[in-house]
Amino acid sequence: MRAKQKDAGNLSIDFLAGFTIFMIAFIYVATLIPGLFLNLHAYTIDYNAVAYRTGVILAEDPGMPYNPSWETLSDYDKGEVLRFGLALSDGTTTTPNVLSAEKVNRFFCSTWVYPDDYQSRAIFGNYPYQFNISLQMAGSNVTQSVGGVPPEDYGVIRRIVKVKEMSNATIDPTVTPGGAWHQDYETQDYNVTTHLFSIFVNYTALSENGPDYNNPAYQINPISPMAEGIMVNLTNLQSTINNKTSQPVTINLTSISVYRSRTLPTETGHAPFSGVPTTTDQYEVHIDGNTTSATLPAGVSNNVSLFINPGTLNAWGSWGGGQADPNTYLNITMQFDLNHGAGFLNSTQSQPYGAFDYNYNPVNVTQPVLDDGVMEVAVW
Amino acid sequence: MVNDRGQLYTIEGIAAAMIMLFTTYLVLGATSVYTPGDSHISDMQLEQIGTDSLRVMDTPANCYSTGICATTLQGIVNNLSQPNIPLAPAANAFDPTNPFNVTFMNYVNNKTGSQTDNLHYTANVTYYDIANKTTGSLLLSANRNLSGVEHPVRVTEWVIAYRPVPGDVTLTEPRAVLVEVLLWRD
Repeated sequence: MRAKQKDAGNLSIDFLAGFTIFMIAFIYVATLIPGLFLNLHAYTIDYNAVAYRTGVILAEDPGMPYNPSWETLSDYDKGEVLRFGLALSDGTTTTPNVLSAEKVNRFFCSTWVYPDDYQSRAIFGNYPYQFNISLQMAGSNVTQSVGGVPPEDYGVIRRIVKVKEMSNATIDPTVTPGGAWHQDYETQDYNVTTHLFSIFVNYTALSENGPDYNNPAYQINPISPMAEGIMVNLTNLQSTINNKTSQPVTINLTSISVYRSRTLPTETGHAPFSGVPTTTDQYEVHIDGNTTSATLPAGVSNNVSLFINPGTLNAWGSWGGGQADPNTYLNITMQFDLNHGAGFLNSTQSQPYGAFDYNYNPVNVTQPVLDDGVMEVAVW
Repeated sequence: MVNDRGQLYTIEGIAAAMIMLFTTYLVLGATSVYTPGDSHISDMQLEQIGTDSLRVMDTPANCYSTGICATTLQGIVNNLSQPNIPLAPAANAFDPTNPFNVTFMNYVNNKTGSQTDNLHYTANVTYYDIANKTTGSLLLSANRNLSGVEHPVRVTEWVIAYRPVPGDVTLTEPRAVLVEVLLWRD
């Protein structure tokens, strides 16, 4: 009985060896656990960092290529876009957080494929992140967005931005009858069938004499890389008809022609105006509120909107390819043909050069406006 | 027989206690590593929103002058001190429909979608008092007072003032003042 009690009080060598091996293995595995936790948590940190980086790229960078700017490239050439960026210019000290409306529209265009096209141009990194990028303008219920629905846990950054809306001119003879930009259609040209309305663009004045010390945020710049579009709306055209007959007048917009000139090197004058070849993808003509661009000639009831696409003014002012010559003068002429002689909107007697001057005068042209908006980037 | 069982059970109990203590140590140790990271990210997001808001408030919405155009924030700062003194020609008149609290809160609380954020702030204007050679400060606006338990971030914007601030005998030319905002989330 005594011998049995002595044996029972001792631990066996087998137990000690097994327990020691177990503790060594346990300690080894346990030391890996903090690293395991840190790795899991690092993704959450990484999501916020990636969202921040993408927010900076979109709000403060103009993207690449910059000249010509990436948003002017066609779908066929979209492979050349290396990096998205919505900022108006690379002058971050003069246009902070100011976005280009053209870049915003191109960015949210459905021709880009989610997530691949955005992953390589805005998110970056080897990890297959999912994301949602959204933009909403102040006072609007419409949210432009790309990407999926964020899960419960994700990284996010919010940027307060302004979006530069393009300039435009609305010419309404019932509001400004007999303006200096058009001929007095009440008393003259009542027996003419062909009437011309021209728009004059002075590249020097627009690119060098802009508001706020030529701040890009308020410029109407025709020259790349910030070459913008312009829009001219001719409204209430019926009111300009001076018909001396009982036969009703029908209006046809027959053609749109572009002419250009530039300052001579001696600065004693400028070269004669000459025609510029155009293509139909350089501008859009919307007649009577139709959202589809018209093919000319086309009948007009009352309104015509001519939208010159971003980058087109640069192309029309480019004499040898590449960037436009800042000494260029441009004349864009719309030809209206009536079915018989009558007075009609006509700019041939106005100054300068018988055209409506598209300039920085807010009486003539609605100047660019910066609208408030908020942009969010969510990454998970 | 009782003593045989008791010895083995004691060692198991000690081993189990060690394992539990060690596990607790590991979990607490791991948690203490990544908590500061979360705090930093939250601060970064608030700083970005606040900086952006002050920046766009100091950017004119439109400009028709070849010279410099005044901003909403300038109009607010100009109205803060000695509003009876006539403004310089380039200065922006204060828009009473858009005081600082309305404009700033709209910017920092706006989100995409239908929901809004819930941020609070207190804002001051800091200036150099030329007469006394000291730095002075004026309360610009606040929608809630700091109680000390909040964790605010500080964002700033230099603004050109067109009216004299305290200490100016005359305002011969525009001068810079610092708008400072403490911003926090409940």
